[in-house]
Amino acid sequence: MNVIDLLILIIVVTILVTIALGVMTYIAYKLRMARKPATSDDETIAARYFVLHKPPLDATDPTEADAS
Amino acid sequence: MPAARRRALISILITAGMVGGTALFIFWAVHSPLQVQRFLVRLVMISLIIFLAILFMRYFALLWFAYLQHSEKTIRAGGEASSFMPPVTVIVPAYNEAEVIDDAIEALLGLDYPVYEVIIVDDGSTDTTVTLARQWEGRHGHAEVRVFTKANGGKATALNSGIAQAKYSFVLCIDADSSIEPQTLRVVMPHFEDPSVGAVAGNVKIVNRDHWLARLQALEYIEGLNMPRRAQGFIGAVNIVPGPVGVFRLDAVHEVGGYDVDTFAEDADLTLKLITNGWKIIYEDSAITWTQGPTSLVDLIQQRYRWTRGILQAIRKRKQILLRPFPDFPLWLSAMEMAFEGVVWPVLNVYAHLFFAVVALLYGMGELLLYWWILLTLLDLVVALITVSMEEEELGLVPYAVIYRFFFILFLDVTKTLAAVEEAFNLGMDWGKLRRISLTQGAGKG
Repeated sequence: MNVIDLLILIIVVTILVTIALGVMTYIAYKLRMARKPATSDDETIAARYFVLHKPPLDATDPTEADAS
Repeated sequence: MPAARRRALISILITAGMVGGTALFIFWAVHSPLQVQRFLVRLVMISLIIFLAILFMRYFALLWFAYLQHSEKTIRAGGEASSFMPPVTVIVPAYNEAEVIDDAIEALLGLDYPVYEVIIVDDGSTDTTVTLARQWEGRHGHAEVRVFTKANGGKATALNSGIAQAKYSFVLCIDADSSIEPQTLRVVMPHFEDPSVGAVAGNVKIVNRDHWLARLQALEYIEGLNMPRRAQGFIGAVNIVPGPVGVFRLDAVHEVGGYDVDTFAEDADLTLKLITNGWKIIYEDSAITWTQGPTSLVDLIQQRYRWTRGILQAIRKRKQILLRPFPDFPLWLSAMEMAFEGVVWPVLNVYAHLFFAVVALLYGMGELLLYWWILLTLLDLVVALITVSMEEEELGLVPYAVIYRFFFILFLDVTKTLAAVEEAFNLGMDWGKLRRISLTQGAGKG
């Protein structure tokens, strides 16, 4: 096998292996997400809404404890 | 069955379907009549020529506009320095960032800027993020640190919370895992002297370059993200102000209703809203922030999956823009570029390379593939050299251009293709959480 053929083989193998690796890594990612503990849908929905906190006009203390 | 498992199963089935369908097509093509095979080979060759033509035109256009932006900046730098430095609110949304929050706040307190405040918005962390952040509360010279906590609701809600608490007329939104350079606000704020500028996108760089995967991302950020931003910045239509560093005019943000919570790329979504409302979005390459790149393939896929789906969600909300180049041509161009880079290009890239490899293997066209590889690699090396030089980055990144396209980009484009299909099916998704390391444990910057 000469250098040209070897280079061609490397390129072809790299392309095919990269695509295969991409698919397998994608599946691995999906499996990892599937194993995560489930969060309650209600918690997620409630958390999307927050109460707008307007500090009183005379507040001078820079330390804030809560946004709600 | 839990929702996450169900989604994963559907994703895997979609992936298997696409892989199986592609394999079946190749099997059929190889066993089809000779005339059909000749036609398909010719089709592959024509597609590759089109692919090459688009690639060259894309690179030429991007490099040309990037060069114009670079020249314009050089000319502007030679003029009188601006003294426009109004107070700024820095907003840091944080969710389980205990590993990095101290580094982030310390870096923010080191900003070289007269007056600013730092608002940490804890998005319902379950670790010690809030405890650590609260140790920094109070006044630190010219800066003030405030910490808020809220129930977990996602980054967009955390940013909106911060914006609602902002005291000043300009906000810098950054990520907790990013480390911003001290001069960032000084170089960004003069752009806002132009009242039509709604936001300025900063320059995001990868900090943890001791890992080969992070070095590839470092090159990608320079060549694939920052270079297009330069080009877009020249026409004032940067299509994504990145989450790690973006400065916004508060009036502009209020005008468009803040961050929406219906996409997973709130940065892209907000930017498109601003452009739609006629605001100019500029790029400032001296506004540097260092962020961590994922160092495992699965973490990288997780990040890019979210980016792809989030961007497609943002485009989907405004799909009518894609059909109307006028009257707002810069907006149309931005949206088209996002759609092209998000869907069309990755799919073309994956299938073009796959079919070319198959054709080369089965029909003895290996030499053509070799010339193709040499041409593209040379192109990538030249572009890498130009963009690395423009950004005054380390030349040691340039050799990574050899594996940039045929491994790194191809690998990512598989994810983008599959993510685009899932978005088309409107499959549910959630944020996930990338693993963090403290920046003081990572490699040195630059």
